[in-house]
Amino acid sequence: MDFGLSEGQRMLKQTARAFLTAECPSSLVKEMARDDRGYTTELWRKMAELGWMGLVLPEEYGGTGGSFLDLAVLLDEMGRACLPGPFFSTVVLGGMIILELGNEKQKQELLPMIVKGELIITLALTEPGSSYGTSDMTVKANADGDNYVISGTKLFVPDAHIADYIICATKTAEGATLFLVDSSCPGINYSLLKTISGDKQCEVVFNKVKVPQENIIGDLGQGWIQLQSILRRAAIAKCAEMVGGAQQVLEMTVDYVKQRVQFGQPIGAFQAVQHHCANIATDVDTSKFITYQAAWRLSEGLPCNREAAMAKAWVSDACRRVTLLGHQCIGGIGFMEDHDLPLYSKRAKVAEIAFGDADFHREVVAQELGL
Amino acid sequence: MEFRFTPEEQKLAKEAHELMERERTPELLAETLELGGIYGGPEGRKIGQKMGARGWLCPAWPKEYGGLGTSETVKLMLLDEMAYMGLPFLFGGASMAGPAILRHGSEELKEEFLPRIAQGEVEFALGYTEPQAGSDLASVEMRAEDKGDYFLLNGQKMFNTHCHVADYHYLAVRTDPNAVPRHRGISMMVVGLESPGVTIRPLITMAGWRTNEVFYDDVEVPKKNLVGELNRGFRYVMTALDFERMVTIGMFRRLFEELVEYAKETKVDGKALGKNPLVRQKLAEIAIELEAARLLYYQLGYILDKGEVANYQSSMEKLFACEVAQHVVNAGMQIMGFYGQLQLDSKWAPLQGEMEFQYRWSYLHTIAGGTSEIQRNIIALRGLGLPLPTA
Repeated sequence: MDFGLSEGQRMLKQTARAFLTAECPSSLVKEMARDDRGYTTELWRKMAELGWMGLVLPEEYGGTGGSFLDLAVLLDEMGRACLPGPFFSTVVLGGMIILELGNEKQKQELLPMIVKGELIITLALTEPGSSYGTSDMTVKANADGDNYVISGTKLFVPDAHIADYIICATKTAEGATLFLVDSSCPGINYSLLKTISGDKQCEVVFNKVKVPQENIIGDLGQGWIQLQSILRRAAIAKCAEMVGGAQQVLEMTVDYVKQRVQFGQPIGAFQAVQHHCANIATDVDTSKFITYQAAWRLSEGLPCNREAAMAKAWVSDACRRVTLLGHQCIGGIGFMEDHDLPLYSKRAKVAEIAFGDADFHREVVAQELGL
Repeated sequence: MEFRFTPEEQKLAKEAHELMERERTPELLAETLELGGIYGGPEGRKIGQKMGARGWLCPAWPKEYGGLGTSETVKLMLLDEMAYMGLPFLFGGASMAGPAILRHGSEELKEEFLPRIAQGEVEFALGYTEPQAGSDLASVEMRAEDKGDYFLLNGQKMFNTHCHVADYHYLAVRTDPNAVPRHRGISMMVVGLESPGVTIRPLITMAGWRTNEVFYDDVEVPKKNLVGELNRGFRYVMTALDFERMVTIGMFRRLFEELVEYAKETKVDGKALGKNPLVRQKLAEIAIELEAARLLYYQLGYILDKGEVANYQSSMEKLFACEVAQHVVNAGMQIMGFYGQLQLDSKWAPLQGEMEFQYRWSYLHTIAGGTSEIQRNIIALRGLGLPLPTA
């Protein structure tokens, strides 16, 4: 067993920590939560220069061919910094879908642009009135000569308002099918949803949007099945972000209770507070190990359905507990909008429900148990 | 990162598993439950000695003392497997007194005891707790007076669970009654439980198995039986806990697997329990907690194999594992409903009534070996650097 990072991963972590501390302070995070676009092109460009967009893309497409585990290390730091913007949607969702399911032409065309930071791309999956994980799509794509015509509404589409392309999961006569949709096509309407954490999620309405047949990603009718490994990967990636956020809440809380004096001594000297902190630390460590185990298995090409579901179920609950106890320890000042803690508690809630909540993943685990 | 065992580790664990599979008899399984998982009973010693002969009781020890010089991870794997297979898994010698003697003991003590511990020939009982010294171990009062060429011991120990099946007592005694702070007056020594003046009396737990109170009346202990330096005992105990407070959840992993099978096979109102969404959620939750506990456990092996000291991590593992153990049996009792209350060998009892027994036992897990509150204190003070309260 080796619970440690490799030399390269340690360096990546250090670089990311230093870069994000300098370039992504909490003031920027708060500003971007209020901003309609939700990211700055300057920070996006600098991240591309560091090679982050291409971290897990093969060299032939301009990437550096890193492993998913490397990406998890980076996402961990991004979660710690509450990085705003479309990295997750572009790299973890869009980039991975094109790499895994796209044909050579699509890869040649799109992946190098992702690497250079010239392309923002996202996935439109969830629909009104549907639970997460249902294959029954209401957004239809009807064949019309060499084209398909897409109609229907998608919800909670991350970063759709700034995306160049949207990968839309649709229902065709042959079954679920993924389409690469140019977001400037006529008939697409976005509206930004107001969410708890100020991250950018959209309603996207497709009104008879015409998409050429060649824009199908993966196989006609196989979209749902092919999407499963992507969603599993996204769940683990989301866990890595959450782990970084939880670690930061732990450190913030411990620093605070060491300094805050009440009854003539730091509140961290009281066992009631100490036990809260110990519980936070336990949730953080278990979250870390269960997440990295899943990420490692995925990197090694080992089966990881069970481990990914365990990770998302555990980390979703654990990170909510962590932020709750963080608030309990930091008290009134942590409730202030100006404080950094609300960034984490709000984000933890969004992450908890993304890519399947704890109940959803426990059901997957139950199936893995043969129940 | 590498979340798997090395081929050598796997090979050894497989061989050990095969031996356990071959040698575990109904008598052994019954004895393990009857003794509350401790080593030292006649059936346990039979298989313990077979494992010991192969170096599997203390595999990480040097060869000269009966080990194989393997990784600490192997030790954890074997212990977990023993617990899983229903064998004794609580060792006073191999897991507690032995490592302390290895680290702090004189060459004479090492030669006298380590090979016999590693062979499974002798077992030790821990002698820490006293009526007035529970979580506050620095309050140990059992007196050891220096009588020139021996110590004279007087006092009482409580909840020393191995004593009625063990050969030796690994004993915390007060050698300096005036020490300030109090913990600087405690020493560790090895005492034969057959020594004149030692009286062992049973205390029966709500789990049904026996622990003991032990009385020392003018017991003479040779000087050579002092472990390490005089008055340094408290430190040895505390650091020993960093190495040895490793709680295997193997027994609960097996119990959980049996519970899952039960849920699959048992129909209530015409429908398998395992098809009930609430039961599915509950079982999945436990499976996840067991996995998190497994990772905390093997992280300790990773830390030790790097040559580092597990500090707050062993407390975290102990805390987490013991709470998960309670969750397993509680979920089991809830899922079994009426049938959960049925005792070992009762008519209608599912899982031969083991859940009921384990449920009674489970109250102890978050108390013995350092309460959950003490573990949280350690995590906060040593792991997170929080301050001690001022008076």
